Amino acid sequence: MALDESSKLGWVLRHGTGKGYGWFRKGAKTKLRDLYSFSLEVSEEDAAVLNDLKERVKETARVWRAIEESKGACWYSQPEISSLSDSSLVSSLSVATLANAMHLKKLIRKGIPPSFRPRVWMAVSGTVTQRSTVPDSYYSDLTEAVKDKVTAATRQIDHDLARTFPTHPWLNSPEGHRTLRQILVAYSFRDSRVGYCQGMNYVAALLLLVLKSEEDAFWMLAALLERVLYSDIYSENLYGCHIEQRVFKDLLMKKFPRLAAHLDLIQFDVSLITTEWFLCLFAKSLPTETTMRVWDVLFSEGVKVLFRVALAIFKMKEAELLSTKHVGEAISIVQDTTNRAYDPDILLKVAFEDLGAMTMYIISEHRKKQQPAVVAELEERLQRVNSPRSNRPTQVLL
Amino acid sequence: MMRTVPIKVVLLGDGRVGKTSLVLRYVNATFSEQQTPTIQASYLTKRLNFNGAMVTLAIWDTAGQERFHALGPIYYRDADAALLVYDITDKDSFDRVKSWVKELRKMAPKDIILAIAGNKCDMNSQVDLKDSERYAASIGSSHFNTSAKSNIGIEETFLDIARRVLEQKKALAENVPASTQRKTMVIIDEPPPPPPPSKCCS
Repeated sequence: MALDESSKLGWVLRHGTGKGYGWFRKGAKTKLRDLYSFSLEVSEEDAAVLNDLKERVKETARVWRAIEESKGACWYSQPEISSLSDSSLVSSLSVATLANAMHLKKLIRKGIPPSFRPRVWMAVSGTVTQRSTVPDSYYSDLTEAVKDKVTAATRQIDHDLARTFPTHPWLNSPEGHRTLRQILVAYSFRDSRVGYCQGMNYVAALLLLVLKSEEDAFWMLAALLERVLYSDIYSENLYGCHIEQRVFKDLLMKKFPRLAAHLDLIQFDVSLITTEWFLCLFAKSLPTETTMRVWDVLFSEGVKVLFRVALAIFKMKEAELLSTKHVGEAISIVQDTTNRAYDPDILLKVAFEDLGAMTMYIISEHRKKQQPAVVAELEERLQRVNSPRSNRPTQVLL
Repeated sequence: MMRTVPIKVVLLGDGRVGKTSLVLRYVNATFSEQQTPTIQASYLTKRLNFNGAMVTLAIWDTAGQERFHALGPIYYRDADAALLVYDITDKDSFDRVKSWVKELRKMAPKDIILAIAGNKCDMNSQVDLKDSERYAASIGSSHFNTSAKSNIGIEETFLDIARRVLEQKKALAENVPASTQRKTMVIIDEPPPPPPPSKCCS
C-alpha cells in the first residue's frame, strides 16, 4: 500500500482494484457481517475490500449459473480432477472430458459461489463416491448407536462446543451445538484411533455453515480425513501433523532459502504458527471467505494446496520478515497477514502463480524422508517422559 | 536508553482450565466466557517496569488437549519460566500439573522457574488448596489463586514470575556457578512466601 502526504492528516490512499481503491480514514472501524454471518469489526479499508468481494462473488455466481444452463446440472461431476496431473489417467480420458475438467479446475481456482459449494464440494472431493459404498442409513444408524456413550472424546467435544466460533449466531445456538456435537461424536466412533482432536471442531463447524446439512457435513469431514488430508494428521500422537510440519519446513527452505535461514537465525520455528493452519485448515486464521476459497481448491486439487497457501503467506511478507529481529515480531507480521487476508484472490494468486512447481510427488518424497525422524522423535519423548527418574542429576529439588 | 530484559514464560495445563483467559486478562485486560480452544499456541507480550528494570514478558499460551503435549518442547525449550495452570473446580486438572512438572524436570532448561495458578477461584473449589500450596512449595514453585473472570491474583502471579526470573538472571550475571545459583534460589524461596491472603475460595 502506498502512503501519501495526506496520511499525516488521518487519511490513507489505498491502491488496488475495484472498490478496494480510494481514500480511507485511518483507524476508523466499521461493523459488518461477512458472507457466512460472522460479525466483524474492521477498518474502513478492509470493509471496502469485503464489499468488493461480495460483488465479485455475485458475478461468479452469474458465470456458474450460465454454465449450468448450457451444460446441465451436475456438469462438474466427473473423474476427480485432482488426478489430472497423473499422466496415465489423462490419456485414458476423452478430449471432451479433459477439456471440461481443465475448465472446471480453472473455474474453481477463481472460487465456487457459495450457493454452488455444497454440491461441487461433495462431487470433487470424492465424498459422493465414498458415501455410495455404504447403506443410506449409515449415518443415522451410527448416531443412534452411539448417542448415550461417554468417552474421552465425547467429554472433550462437550467442552469445546460452546467455544467453537462463539460469536457466530447459529453455531452458538442450542441447535448449532447439538448438530456440531452429533457430527463430531459420530466421527469419533467411526474412527476411534482418531477419536476427537481439537481443530476438527472448527473444520466441522465451517462445513456445517456451508453445506447446511448435518449428514453431508459428516461425510465431508470423513472424506477430508480419509481421502484428502495426510493420514494420521489428527491421531493420538499427531504423527501426520508432525510429518506435515517438517515437510513444510523443507519446502520453505527449498523455495525461500534466504527467508528460511533468517527465520532460523531469529529462532523462529515456523511450526509454532503453521501447525494451527494445517490442523484447522486455516479456519481459525484466515477470514471466512478466504478460508472457503482455500477449501474450494483443497477439495479439487488435494492437500498440496495447504502447502501452497502456507508458503504464499510467507512469500507475501518475505521482505518484512527478513528485517525482523526477534520471533515475536515475525509472528505478529504473519498473524496480521492471515487475519487481514480479506481478498482471497491476492493470496491465491501468489499461491498458484508465484511459487513454481510443487507436485504431490515432491510432497510424498519429503514425507517419506521425514518419517524415520518423526518416529524417533516421538518415541524418544515417550521414553523420557515415562522414565521413572529424571535424566538430570543436577535436578535436586524433587 | 535502558536495556529491556526479555523473559519467556510458557503456560501449560489441561484443556479449558483458563490459560488463554489468564493471558488475555493480563495482557489485554479482557475476559470472555467463551474463549475458543487454543490449537497449538499463541504468543503475546507485555512490557513492565519492575523496580526500575524494564522487562518484556513474552508469554506463550499453549493448547491443552493431551495429544498436543508432544509439541510442548518447542515452547518450553528455552523458557525462563513455566506457569502451570489448573482449574480449582476440576481435580484432574491438578494431576495434570503434576505430570507437567515431571516432564519439565526431564525436558526443560534445568533452572526454569515454576509457578502454579489455581484458576477460577471465583468458583467453589474441588481441590484442597492447602495440598496444592504444599505441593508447590515441595517443588520450589509459588502458588496463586487466580480468576481471569474476576481479575484476581493474575498481576501478582506474573510479577512473582518476573521477580524470580530477574533474581536468577542477576545471580547468574554475578557469576555464581549455575549449580549453586539454583540452590541459592531454592533457599530464598523455600519455604515460599505465603500466598497472598485468599480473596475467595476459602
